[in-house]
Amino acid sequence: MAFEDELLGHLPRLRRFAHALARSAADADDLLQASVERALVRRGQWEPGTRLDSWMYRLMRNLWIDTVRAETRRSETFVAPEAGDSVGTAGGQEMAVELGNIAQAMRTLPPEQREAVALVVIEGFAYKEAAEILDIPMGTLTSRLVRGREALMTRLGEAA
Amino acid sequence: MTIDPETLMAYADGELDPIAARRVENAIAADPALATQVDRHRELAASLRAAFDPVVAAPVPAAVETMLGESAKVVPLASKSARRERSFWMGAVAASLVAGLFAGPLLFPGDSGGFAMRDGRAIARGDIAKALGTQLASAQAPDASIRVGVTFRDGAQRWCRTFEAGATGGIACVQGKNWRIERLYGGIAGQGGTYRQAGSPAAAMMTDAQAMMVGEPLDAAAEKAARDAGWR
Repeated sequence: MAFEDELLGHLPRLRRFAHALARSAADADDLLQASVERALVRRGQWEPGTRLDSWMYRLMRNLWIDTVRAETRRSETFVAPEAGDSVGTAGGQEMAVELGNIAQAMRTLPPEQREAVALVVIEGFAYKEAAEILDIPMGTLTSRLVRGREALMTRLGEAA
Repeated sequence: MTIDPETLMAYADGELDPIAARRVENAIAADPALATQVDRHRELAASLRAAFDPVVAAPVPAAVETMLGESAKVVPLASKSARRERSFWMGAVAASLVAGLFAGPLLFPGDSGGFAMRDGRAIARGDIAKALGTQLASAQAPDASIRVGVTFRDGAQRWCRTFEAGATGGIACVQGKNWRIERLYGGIAGQGGTYRQAGSPAAAMMTDAQAMMVGEPLDAAAEKAARDAGWR
């Protein structure tokens, strides 16, 4: 199968991953487009016979994290969980519901917890596969995952 | 016995081996609070999936699908009508070289060492020539100042490679002992951060490379073999 055809088959899931990572739907689709473009430029680096989806997830995640870091450097725009709360509830309950409480809550997680939750819980990767995509040890993955999930439970429990 | 939160979560996710799972089940039987926590993990997982799954069902943005579609159909077209493409190509190369070289001092601040003129043609030299001759796309340092992209054969059976050096990108092909610069692109985004949009110079470079390409770009093993054989 041509590289493009195989990639096309993975697009819907990659797009879901982008939506779980990015701060808005528009950012998520920009991230998807940028990832596909980079994949076409760097297709020579993918080894046929290995999983294209894992390669794509890694590529997208790295692109996203570069952007997060660049933004954090530029201005401390990264909203701390506490600040995120007040942003979401300052007269904006209706809005928060429309955006989806859950998507909203994901966006308050620190990046390293968000990517772990997105890969394992939403994308359904085994712990071992997720750790490989993120290039971190299993123990680091499980501790980020458990912290991210507990934060989400607390946040969503409060909202209920 | 105590079960740490990671183990309990792994149990909820079905990640434990049977023996470890049995141990957790025994602990759960003795402590209802653990059972509640397992349920909370599973409920959260189900709501997260329910929240994001609609994205999978929705149609992929047209721009992305178009980009892939264009990329996929360029290769067979180029091989079918390589001769015609090529004559068209040479004109385009000449035009772009003029633009590229006049803009040279702007594109290469503080470094004019990457290119030289020979017989009226631009060739790579210095670090760019070295990268083109030796660097493997599959094994580049993340901070390499010159990055090689795809490697392929063109209609004249020459080896060609795309490269990026700072804000400049280009396509170079082997001509005798040199890498001749076929095309240059300014305003290529650097490594970090900014997303590349369709229609960007990087996308144009890729489209052009695919138009020159006969067959598929090389994979990691073929790239290494071609380099080790001295690009013959």
